[in-house]
Amino acid sequence: MKNTLPMIEVSGLHKQFRTPVVKEGRFAGIRTLFTREYRMKEAVKDISFSIQKGDFVGYIGPNGAGKSTTIKMLTGILHPSSGEVKINGINPHKHRRQVAKRLGVVFGQRSQLWWDLPVKDSYDILAHMYKVAPDEKEKRQGEMGELLDLKEFWLTPVRKLSLGQRMRADIAASMLHDPDVLFLDEPTIGLDVTAKRSIRGFLKKLNSEFGKTILLTTHDMDDIEQLCERVMVINHGQLSYEGTIENLRDKIGLPTLIRVTFHGTYQLPAPQDQCLPVELGLDAERTFQIVDAGSHEVHIEANRQQVKAMDILRMVSGWGEVADIHMEEPDFEDVIHRVY
Amino acid sequence: MTIKYWLDLYAVLIRSSIRSRMQYKFNFILGTVLAATIQIAEFLMISIVLNKFGAVKGWSLYEVGYLFAVMTLAKTLYRTFASDVHHLERYLTTGELDQLLTRPVPILLALMSQNIRLMPGELLQGGAILYWSMHGMISSGQITWLALPYTLFVIVTGGVILFSIGLATATVGFWITRINELQTLTEDAAQTAVRYPLVLYPAWLRSLLLIVIPVGFVGYVPSLFILRGEYGSWLVYGIALLAVICLVISLRFWKFGLTRYQSTGS
Repeated sequence: MKNTLPMIEVSGLHKQFRTPVVKEGRFAGIRTLFTREYRMKEAVKDISFSIQKGDFVGYIGPNGAGKSTTIKMLTGILHPSSGEVKINGINPHKHRRQVAKRLGVVFGQRSQLWWDLPVKDSYDILAHMYKVAPDEKEKRQGEMGELLDLKEFWLTPVRKLSLGQRMRADIAASMLHDPDVLFLDEPTIGLDVTAKRSIRGFLKKLNSEFGKTILLTTHDMDDIEQLCERVMVINHGQLSYEGTIENLRDKIGLPTLIRVTFHGTYQLPAPQDQCLPVELGLDAERTFQIVDAGSHEVHIEANRQQVKAMDILRMVSGWGEVADIHMEEPDFEDVIHRVY
Repeated sequence: MTIKYWLDLYAVLIRSSIRSRMQYKFNFILGTVLAATIQIAEFLMISIVLNKFGAVKGWSLYEVGYLFAVMTLAKTLYRTFASDVHHLERYLTTGELDQLLTRPVPILLALMSQNIRLMPGELLQGGAILYWSMHGMISSGQITWLALPYTLFVIVTGGVILFSIGLATATVGFWITRINELQTLTEDAAQTAVRYPLVLYPAWLRSLLLIVIPVGFVGYVPSLFILRGEYGSWLVYGIALLAVICLVISLRFWKFGLTRYQSTGS
């Protein structure tokens, strides 16, 4: 019913942290204690975005870029220095509890469950907290339990779970009260391939079948590539990109690497200097580069947005007898590396 | 949100907190026994000293015992119901407060129900000393049975005052993070000091313990009326009013402090 309203709305968000300046030299400790000098660290600078209901958005950035700080402001943990957050139209800093009722939050680094109690007990307590009716709780617990295979460690204390099990238990717990929005802060950190896959599958389902709005931060670019329709990149506290993954690739325009192996010798065209653009003869824009030329092998970099692979092959086949061709698409991690 | 919901939730949280503790039974039992032993040893020390010197500045052994017992019981009340308010520092330095903040529950309620510590040792010791001192004073005709309800009332208001002081001290942690030493000053040292009649202390310390850290109102001030009939019964009600004022101020301060929470890096 609130389809037209954005689920998460952030405008002009700032967060500054104040830390005392540490003095150097004599009596440094005592002077630091009495100093009135502070260094202001701007963790988040003027961030604005909005996320629609049902979106699956990736929030990425290098360590210390301000990802967690943003998430903590969105969930009402930290108060912003200025700017405003609205979750489903409500400000989490003025009405923290009201917003918390409709949120699911998972921190990969830290469990939200009761450390010393069996998994089951945590769910009982959460059901009380969020006022989930018993039949509703049973139903959802069954659903999640099946999807995430929780039965095998249902009665095990949380502290004895493996990281993969704990993560599954944590995510299922965050869904118990059927929240509208799910915030996931590095949910796949430290997990093995199988565990990552099962969590990704589950998150995908939550988004597509249950219609949950999800904001995900991660350092695993496979997470982003497989799950998110949209990414936001934060760096030095500012949003440096916001849009689809394809657009991001295009924008960065990383070249495709083509490795051509020849039978016997080959002859390069006139300008044999490496890295000089080779013109295809169509127009000045359409060029590719020879980055490495060995005795039998030539490495070529070409931006596929500008040049068609077929045109390159046609040209290359004129240089000698082609034995093998290998093409590597730019890795998403490399794309991201460029943005950072 | 009805009162019933909060009470139910508090009960659920307390129960799970105790169950968590019970996972480590040996530690739980040993901790309880040790705490009780320390308490009793402490009072034995004082009674030996007092027995040797008789009264201090006009305060009999019974009266000092009374002050001691009221303080112990008020503190037991405060620490039982608000255990982890005193341990906020741990939540601040580890960023554990984050988890509590993502729940639709007041932070204070969450803190109050975490790591509950039952204090049967303190309760028993405080109760025993209170019985002994009041029995002594009733036998000698210094006070009547009427002192008992007043005393119970004063223990509750005392618990509220101690809670307010503890909460305000913890709140300072939102600015300075490490508060252990501050707590030693405003809680432990102050509470120990007012187990003795305030007349023992120089005027500046007396006003410190009454105005800056109003811990003197827990046992000493009410005992002036309850044990010695000075002022009048309005004194006890005045203290109750003071306790409510302290509570409101510290709750306001706490709310403000929460907006200054900095969390930790991850």
